[in-house]
Amino acid sequence: MPLALTPRLFCRLAILLILSIVAACSIPEKPPNRYQDDIEVSQPEARPVTELQNQALAALNQDQYQLAVDYLQRAIKIQPRNAWSWHYLAQTYWRDAQYDRCLAMIERSNSYGSFDEALTSANDRLKPKCQQG
Amino acid sequence: MPSRAKRKKPKSANRRPRRNYRLIAVLLLVGAFAVYLGYLNHLINSRFEGDTWAIPSRVFARAQELYPSLVLTREQLIYELDLSSYLAVKAEPLPGQYRLLGGSLEVNTRPFDFGTQFQPARLVQVFFERGRISALIDSGSSEDLQLFRLPPVILGSYYPDNDEDRLLLAEDEVPQRFIDTLIAVEDRQFFQHWGLSPMSIMRAFLVNLRAGKAVQGGSTLTQQLAKNLFLTPEKTLLRKINEAFMALILELRFSKQAIITAYVNEVFVLQQKRIAIHGFAQASRMLFRRSVDSLEAQHLALLVGMVKGPSRYNPFSSPDAALSRRNLVLKIMFEQGVLGEAEFSEATAAPLGIVDRLPGVNPFPAYLDLVKRQLQASYSSAELAQRGLRVFTAFDPLLQRNLELGLARGLGRYNQPELQAAVVIADYLNGDIQALVGDRVTDFPGFNRALMAQRPIGSLIKPLLLYSLLGEQLTLASKVKDEPIRIQQSDGKIWEPRNYDRELHGEMSLYEAFIHSYNLPFVQLGVAGGLEALAQNLAQIKLLKHDVVYPSMLLGTTSMSAFEVSQMFQVIANNGYFTPLTTIRSVTDQHNQTLERVPFESHKLFDQARMIQVQRAMIGVTENGTAGYLAERFPARTLAGKTGTTNEARDSWFAGFSSRLLTVVWLGRDDNGPINLTGASGALKVWSDIMELQGFESFKISRDDSLDWRHINPANGGITRKSCEISVLLPFPKDQVPTARSRCP
Repeated sequence: MPLALTPRLFCRLAILLILSIVAACSIPEKPPNRYQDDIEVSQPEARPVTELQNQALAALNQDQYQLAVDYLQRAIKIQPRNAWSWHYLAQTYWRDAQYDRCLAMIERSNSYGSFDEALTSANDRLKPKCQQG
Repeated sequence: MPSRAKRKKPKSANRRPRRNYRLIAVLLLVGAFAVYLGYLNHLINSRFEGDTWAIPSRVFARAQELYPSLVLTREQLIYELDLSSYLAVKAEPLPGQYRLLGGSLEVNTRPFDFGTQFQPARLVQVFFERGRISALIDSGSSEDLQLFRLPPVILGSYYPDNDEDRLLLAEDEVPQRFIDTLIAVEDRQFFQHWGLSPMSIMRAFLVNLRAGKAVQGGSTLTQQLAKNLFLTPEKTLLRKINEAFMALILELRFSKQAIITAYVNEVFVLQQKRIAIHGFAQASRMLFRRSVDSLEAQHLALLVGMVKGPSRYNPFSSPDAALSRRNLVLKIMFEQGVLGEAEFSEATAAPLGIVDRLPGVNPFPAYLDLVKRQLQASYSSAELAQRGLRVFTAFDPLLQRNLELGLARGLGRYNQPELQAAVVIADYLNGDIQALVGDRVTDFPGFNRALMAQRPIGSLIKPLLLYSLLGEQLTLASKVKDEPIRIQQSDGKIWEPRNYDRELHGEMSLYEAFIHSYNLPFVQLGVAGGLEALAQNLAQIKLLKHDVVYPSMLLGTTSMSAFEVSQMFQVIANNGYFTPLTTIRSVTDQHNQTLERVPFESHKLFDQARMIQVQRAMIGVTENGTAGYLAERFPARTLAGKTGTTNEARDSWFAGFSSRLLTVVWLGRDDNGPINLTGASGALKVWSDIMELQGFESFKISRDDSLDWRHINPANGGITRKSCEISVLLPFPKDQVPTARSRCP
């Protein structure tokens, strides 16, 4: 049975077309760029890194700063662009009154995690504390 | 009677002085003897109560982290364990041993003190799948492990002047069976005598008399210790007297356990090239790859047997003599009740069980040299040779192996025996120097070219020069001219630089000029203002070698070592963050107390967005430029790099980086003669051989919101279509995005 283009069908197709165009436009334009970095936290190394970060935070809670630094440096060696590891390192240096190092680590953390709002705001809160120190 | 009295007086007067003389003589003798004993006592004190032995400082590699998903093959893990002198066994491994189970590997790690943490021995099974670790299981608890740290390999030691090497055992670390064997063979009266054994001396005297020559000694273990520690081996009466008194003093002053422990640590067992191996602990590691607490009867017997004649019973040069001596010791052990009959039979039937050959002394001399130079800021050579420091470094033995194999393969391309090489591999994100060679013969401890050879770097200067040029006026798309230039120098002479191919290429984008390493556009831009900025940037990373800035610096006439070049490229690869390259991460004393730590440093010296533009241009070099060979060899990977060649092809350089590794290769001759290799035909090929063996991930540029990416035509810098075959995607500061459009040719 041949499909007749009735006015009703025409209207429906037109609405579908408009909706498709709107939907396509709502996708943010992001040209593929094979040169740019991915986000590292989604990589499989994330599990040992998370474990080391947790151990570092536990050490930090017990004021064992050197041990915390050791854990975090190990985490960074496994996954060097993990912005949270750098942030925790900054936190550790702040607690250990090494304020210049704290600021340097915040800067480094931001350079890897500028897209992560939680991270940047954590760094923003920590920065003045290190500056005051 | 006065005459009699007179006669008597002188008699008594004569007698008194004579008695006095005798008394004085006796007193003098006693005094001299006391002084002599006091002197011996002082000698003993100074050794026993201070640092009895000069202990070489040990240099450790990085501790290999093991976790599921880590790229590591079983063969690589075996290589690492072999370097740590782990022993392959078939039964369940003891600490310091491993076994292969199907496709997996079960290792029992040695206990190790990392300085901040002590890690006990642990039995762990490692599973592999497609070149990665797929699972880690604690064999004891069957628990899945997310992470496990292998104790690090010792990559070398700094030995004292006497070239002695030893591992010290504490009193409670000497196994009782070891003591029993030693006493059964060397001194059965050890726990009864006071340092001397008249019975042993008499027996030895009679045996020697019967034989007509000295065939047996009557020395106790304490006498042997006194001789080894304080005296020379010469056979004189005076030495024997000194030895006897020292033995007596030792017995008076110290416990039997302390004396036997000192003996176990002092005794000379083995010669390893120029190094004398003293003490059973180190000898056991060397010969059997075992710690003394895991030695079996036959091992104990061989070690104790070798004491009588380390050269005569050397199991490598005289295996038959060593075997027969070992079996004699086993027999004594059995007769003295140290061994049961079954174990005696089993041990006697066992082979010597030693390693095929002794490991080389310091097989990584160039790296060790750099560690020493970096340590010398805090420690003297004497301290390094005597204090038994533990130096933890970033050295990666697996990477070093790939470097050495790749270098050998790469140099094999060129029939130039005079061609020398230096290579540095670093993790540019944290500043760790992970591998290094300073000679084409990688285990030759000579001139370390990676640190010492200062050579012109040629076009390796261009990335930092490009950084210095980019800014308000210039972008990668800016048009530049490749045309002749004449510069009058300060001495009045005219400098007329040329391109390497001696051609002129007309107008093009700055990107295009960079990837083909054309000299003239960079000299034009440099003399117009980039030179001063370049000098300032070099000064920031402490690589400006001269106060006077001269135009030829624009073409890399500045000399640097491969190490210095690595520091320059570290900043470039790391988005402008300067991290001092280092080998050392921490130092502890011999009791594991931390003396020094080298934390991660990070100083933002350069603008990230501008450095990203440089990185993108360096990717262009490997895709379509002078290092286009990389795109052919590794088509699916993205790498960034730069070639460098100096006048008359005397130096061939390549510096390049992947996702984490920065590798710098230099080739040249020590006499500075031409090698007829460019950066692309020489160092780049060697670089590729190394990286192919190592395996690597693509370099990715960091996201930076201040940059916009556009497709441009590199011939003229105009915006073009993505689909245009010649278009390249380049980053631009948001306010400097090119507006001119270019037609796709």
